[in-house]
Amino acid sequence: MVSNDSLPIQVKAGRDGFTLVPHPSASFDSIMDYMRRRLSESRDFFHRSNMILDLRTRHLGSDEIQALNNLLVELSEAGLIEVKISDDLSMSVHGSQHKRAGSPSSSIPSPVEACPVIVRSTCRSGARVVSTSDCVILGDVNPGAEVIAAGDIIVFGSLRGVAHAGATGNRSARIWALSIEPNQLRIADLVAVPPRGSKPTPKRYEIAEITEDAIGVTTV
Amino acid sequence: MAGKTIVVTSGKGGVGKTTTVANIGTTLAKKKYSVVLIDADIGLRNLDVVMGLENRIVYNLVDIIEGKCRMQQAMIRDRKLANLYIIPAAQTREKNAVQPEQMKTLCAELMEEFDFVLIDCPAGIEQGFKNAVAGAQTALVVTTPEVSAIRDADRVIGLLEAAMLHDIHLIINRLNQKMVKKGDMMSTQDIVGLLAVPLLGVVPESEDVVVSTNRGIPLVHDRGSRAGVAFQRIAARLNGENVPLDDNGAEGFFGRMKRFIWS
Repeated sequence: MVSNDSLPIQVKAGRDGFTLVPHPSASFDSIMDYMRRRLSESRDFFHRSNMILDLRTRHLGSDEIQALNNLLVELSEAGLIEVKISDDLSMSVHGSQHKRAGSPSSSIPSPVEACPVIVRSTCRSGARVVSTSDCVILGDVNPGAEVIAAGDIIVFGSLRGVAHAGATGNRSARIWALSIEPNQLRIADLVAVPPRGSKPTPKRYEIAEITEDAIGVTTV
Repeated sequence: MAGKTIVVTSGKGGVGKTTTVANIGTTLAKKKYSVVLIDADIGLRNLDVVMGLENRIVYNLVDIIEGKCRMQQAMIRDRKLANLYIIPAAQTREKNAVQPEQMKTLCAELMEEFDFVLIDCPAGIEQGFKNAVAGAQTALVVTTPEVSAIRDADRVIGLLEAAMLHDIHLIINRLNQKMVKKGDMMSTQDIVGLLAVPLLGVVPESEDVVVSTNRGIPLVHDRGSRAGVAFQRIAARLNGENVPLDDNGAEGFFGRMKRFIWS
């Protein structure tokens, strides 16, 4: 019997489902191999369960998280519902359980059903936040970061990166931020580039929305 | 006594990582601390040139890690300071010759003997970056007041946070006060506001840096250099000394007056 500490990834049962904790020095391949074996051994046990991926001790890339999620879905119809990145930052991956329980075939849940993604830190260059519903960022969105949401985007800070609201085609989606000075704004199928030159600083906040087939920013 | 491992990184190349490592290291050594500088830029070494020690290299970092020599054999002592050493990078090897775990072990060993272990990180965010960051507890992110350098610094800070390294400080290099006043360059406040990490110091743009690099003598040996003074103050702050952040008159005459009145 191998001790728990040396496993490439630990599976811990919890109230809301299972928490997956990868070993800090395990290779990604060994994690995948172990999960594949574990899931095929007890397929019914994990069937349609909720998985939480805990990345506080080991970092995984977004493509690796995706690959792991695909494996979970494929072998036992389970799926990641949350990824813990640090103590104050967690990301829900697929919106909510409603989606898989209700209609496993539809790939895009309606924004009303899914939970919003809340990010409690600044999104730095290279960060990419994707939400199947609304997205709330408690911090700045720096140049080079991307926030994509099927619903609205709310930034409690300056929006300087790229934001795409209504990514699945919802033209009534809006973007709120304390200050909007982005590289590029996208709502549904429209793209806008801010005018060159300085603009007055907003007193309270700014809203970007589609008015007459163009994206306009209103300062409040 | 256990020391401290500090990595100096930036993302973008040419912003002054190596100069920062050489000058901070020399200043700390002048304060009688034992210091070792590690050049982690395997394949493109240049810390030894900046320190003026290139003709003394026999063994390098990869030799230590592969067990071809003892650690003491690869450590080169500085020409002026007896308590300052550098471990040069291998010029003829590739970055994947070293693994993050091995760097961690090496840093842990060095920390037993030295007060400060400074790592010169290569540009970029690939294997070399991961190696350099692996053993560090503190990171100094160097940037210049250019949009491209700031963007890369932002990315690097994000990666450092993902690698569980949370003690991050910012150094702004090559700030030109005249251009900031004219509005042609981003100001210190703008940069700190965007990157949102504590500022350790600002180094003014100076021709002395090129001269000192070419001669292989760190700036801090030159008493008249403003950039050298800025590096000394940064090293003092890093060491926990209370040095106010008004480098190179960044606040101007009135700022100093205000400080005078308030104190």
